Amino acid sequence: MSTDNQFDSALDLLRRLPPSEISKNLQRLCTIAPRLTEDLLSSVDQPLEARRCKKTGRDYLLCDYNRDGDSWRSPWSNEFEPPIEDDDGGTKPSERVRKMELRMGEGIDVYRELYYEGGISSVYFWDLDDGFAGVVLLKKTTPKNQGESGVWDSIHVFEAVEQGRSAHYKLTSTVILHLRTGGDKLGSLDLGGNMTRQVEQDMPVDDDGSHIVNIGRLVEDMELKMRNMLQEVYFGKAKDVVGDLRSVAALSTTNKVKASQREMISEWNKRDA
Amino acid sequence: MTANAEAISAFINGAPPGELDDVVKDVKALAGGDDALRSAKPAFQKYNEEQLTSVKLPGGEREAIVSQYTSLGDGRYLDVQSSTSFAFDHVTQKASAPQSYSLDSRHGELVKSLLRSLSTYTAEHYSFCSYSVALTDSDSSIAILIAANKYSPSNFWTGRWRNVYIYKTSGSLSGEIKVDVHYYEDGNVRLSTKKEVEVTVSGSATAPEIVRQISQAEKAYQEELNKGFASLSEGAFKALRRQLPVTRQKASHS
Repeated sequence: MSTDNQFDSALDLLRRLPPSEISKNLQRLCTIAPRLTEDLLSSVDQPLEARRCKKTGRDYLLCDYNRDGDSWRSPWSNEFEPPIEDDDGGTKPSERVRKMELRMGEGIDVYRELYYEGGISSVYFWDLDDGFAGVVLLKKTTPKNQGESGVWDSIHVFEAVEQGRSAHYKLTSTVILHLRTGGDKLGSLDLGGNMTRQVEQDMPVDDDGSHIVNIGRLVEDMELKMRNMLQEVYFGKAKDVVGDLRSVAALSTTNKVKASQREMISEWNKRDA
Repeated sequence: MTANAEAISAFINGAPPGELDDVVKDVKALAGGDDALRSAKPAFQKYNEEQLTSVKLPGGEREAIVSQYTSLGDGRYLDVQSSTSFAFDHVTQKASAPQSYSLDSRHGELVKSLLRSLSTYTAEHYSFCSYSVALTDSDSSIAILIAANKYSPSNFWTGRWRNVYIYKTSGSLSGEIKVDVHYYEDGNVRLSTKKEVEVTVSGSATAPEIVRQISQAEKAYQEELNKGFASLSEGAFKALRRQLPVTRQKASHS
């Protein structure tokens, strides 16, 4: 069995097993197939963890893209915590890309306040041979209210390939959304998971500021689409399947209604003919 | 248990409705074949019994239910309705070696009557389901099982609604309703619910009375469940992220 096939099997498994246990299941997969560890950890999205920047006191989110060994780079101070004791102090973006990272971080902070009215956001950029890449992270947890709770994690990974006066952007976005409610009458209701979407687009570029606007728009459009999609799947599809399994109304009654509707429509069709 | 066997057992335990085969295929590819599965054998049995796995009996259309209550030991299970016992393979989820089996119990009439009432009730509320009635070891309580499954892998969803009720002839009816839905197009979304039911009935209750109590409990629960969806959609979901900013205008990004 090749490693490629095993990697596909691992991803297929993670697409089936309870999403609320993704981190535990990742560990289990790494136990069974240790050689997949690095690939799995870098390609499977997990709920984001936050940490407080020691220098600025602001919170930032952790992911594989700001990690170097056991340290994470704060986007606010541009320093690794805990510090990395080697010549360059850990991998950091070039000066130009770091400048864009800071501007994007400020922009996303405003965006976060507009849409999330709270939560934490972080932006990390890194250099590519023919451009740059980055990740936009957003996380919000609702305070528990009448037995309800929720956590939203957005992970937007993009690549920007620069081609003179335009750039080619490739965006892969994942939202991890967990909702929970319960009570005496309801028992427990757990509704959670993740969805992923991709988009590619060419957009004009005048200067580095254009990249910030372009990526901001791509992320905003994507989140709007994904929010609608999540609403449809969580509250439309999942609820419909429950209604397919068991019908509140007696089936003999609903079947009778359906039959008489069919009869009526066929009568109309006959008259029209 | 080795770390591998523990991991594999957890994967089996987490298989969504109707997707055990898919999970087994992935586990085989990752852990290197059938040997690895053998070490997780107890997990398969636990999974099938807890999930109330429905299984078609050999040579018939009828589906029996695998559960701790219908277990006869040694990998054999009982289907009272068809007076059949059968062997069950927990990995392939197939039944074989049917034998006729006659129930010997002082509650034989009540069991038969319950099966009739369940047939009428389930036909009215489940478009596809299996149901079963079994006596527990002590012969002083009766297990009533209902399992409804719908799998649509071509549309990337599967679902299961299952109920276990224990009627004690001393006069109580308690049980558990569980719903599990998996949606996996462009992602992995899971609904998982659990509700405990407790109803007072008399020790001399007739089958129609018992099934009427079950019907009422399930109806009340499903209505609560629908309210729960609506409340999460209007509450926690909206509180996490707005559809548009308060200004009703998109961000400027400049």
